[in-house]
Amino acid sequence: MLQLKNIDCGYGVFQAVHDLSFSIETGQVFALLGPNGAGKSSTIMSIAGHVKLFAGSIHFDGEDISSLPARERVKKGIAVAPEGRRLFPDLTIEENLTVGGYSKPKGKEAVNRDMVFSLFPRLTERLKQPAGTLSGGEQQMLAIGRAMMAEPRLLMIDEVSLGLMPKMVDVCYNAIHHLKSQGVTILLVEQNTKRALDVADQVCVLESGNAVWQGSAADAKKDPDLIEAFLGMTKESAA
Amino acid sequence: MLYVELLAQGLVQGSIYALVAVGLTLVYGLLRILHVAHAGLFTLGGYIGVLVTNATGSLLLALVVSMLVVGLLGMAIYRLCYQPILDKPPYVALIASIGLFIAMEEIYRIAFGPYGISYENPPLQDVVHIFGITLRLGEVAVGIGTLVLIGALALFASKTRFGTVWRATVTDPEMAESFGVDIIKVRYLNFFIGSALAAVAGVMVALLNNLVEPTMGSVPSYKALAIIVLGGLGDVRGTLLAALALGVIEAYGTIYLGNYLDRDAIAFAFLILVLMVRPQGLFGRA
Repeated sequence: MLQLKNIDCGYGVFQAVHDLSFSIETGQVFALLGPNGAGKSSTIMSIAGHVKLFAGSIHFDGEDISSLPARERVKKGIAVAPEGRRLFPDLTIEENLTVGGYSKPKGKEAVNRDMVFSLFPRLTERLKQPAGTLSGGEQQMLAIGRAMMAEPRLLMIDEVSLGLMPKMVDVCYNAIHHLKSQGVTILLVEQNTKRALDVADQVCVLESGNAVWQGSAADAKKDPDLIEAFLGMTKESAA
Repeated sequence: MLYVELLAQGLVQGSIYALVAVGLTLVYGLLRILHVAHAGLFTLGGYIGVLVTNATGSLLLALVVSMLVVGLLGMAIYRLCYQPILDKPPYVALIASIGLFIAMEEIYRIAFGPYGISYENPPLQDVVHIFGITLRLGEVAVGIGTLVLIGALALFASKTRFGTVWRATVTDPEMAESFGVDIIKVRYLNFFIGSALAAVAGVMVALLNNLVEPTMGSVPSYKALAIIVLGGLGDVRGTLLAALALGVIEAYGTIYLGNYLDRDAIAFAFLILVLMVRPQGLFGRA
């Protein structure tokens, strides 16, 4: 569904990602792992169309989308819940969802909103509350919900569990499992390696902008060197 | 009764500041540009208002023509002056804007003469008595007109889908674009609405002073900058309240402090005082 071919990307003169290639099959959950500053968010934002490619190409459904503006990519079926959530803080929950569904006909807004509410019932309790006043967990739910309003076939979520209480992490991962069962293809960026490996099919580990390991999540769990060197877990906790 | 009358005068003056400042704060919110040439559009609004009224006798027609022409010119300024330099540091756009403003004043001087023009038969000059205070019809029209326009704008921004998207774009253009928003379209709309409101203010000031002159934008230009700082840059509601507050402060100030400070000095003393206590503006978040 999505192919990155030898991409270099970054900001201004700073290159964040070097010669990265991977592909994601339809229906998979793909996890991008690695330490802070490894280039994970830059990769996601280059797929969304916000970080410039210096070289390489991005194909979606076989079509080269490398030079497509961000607003066209969402129409193709790519939506993002970005790093730091980046909700519209002055807008209410309801209004954030409206903006999320702007690429779809107005008539589909109500149906999609109900879908988001069944995914995160908690959001229905405070429809008129400004997003900036929500808790971290609620903000993450809204960020994922806002992206789902665009009916994406590829949903990208950056730092799913960062700064969340364990209970909220559970809520978000339950939603990810549910979306996966519905056939949504998901690209995750995560620091919490264990959670990511539990849901992911494929894994790519980045370090300083380079891919240092790629393979299935099952293999990643079995590779002791990888786990100790890059993912900062002991073998026991990964098992 | 003097207090009430001063309050009314202050609110009328504040309404005019509000109409000018809203466009300025919208542009700042969206593009992080201090759009100084906005005050030049305010002046042009006044000229078109007087010229069309004198030619046709209809103030209402003049108002509509002025809003349309000035709104379109605002869009053209965005396209020709700002869009090509958006990737440069903000001071580049600021310098371009100041240059454009000076050029506009000179163009008005050449086109319409240095001494200004007036209404041949100034409309809405009758005096009315409301709640025991005396106002000119023009002043009442300014108050009501501002309420209607700002109210319509607020309804559009909060109740329609595109209005919601507009507010989202002002806070985070990149994220809005991620959800399919054509941010160029939002910028055009933004410049059209902001400029059209400034044109209304120009027509109103021309009505109250019965004079339009090439430099009538200079004082509003820096006062509007002060107002949007007071209101918390990019915050429309804060800007409206700050504009009204400034109008009222000036009205009382000229009576009680007029011997020591003139009207504009009072406005800026107020700005300095507020920013000493609340550097984020009257209503801004820390």
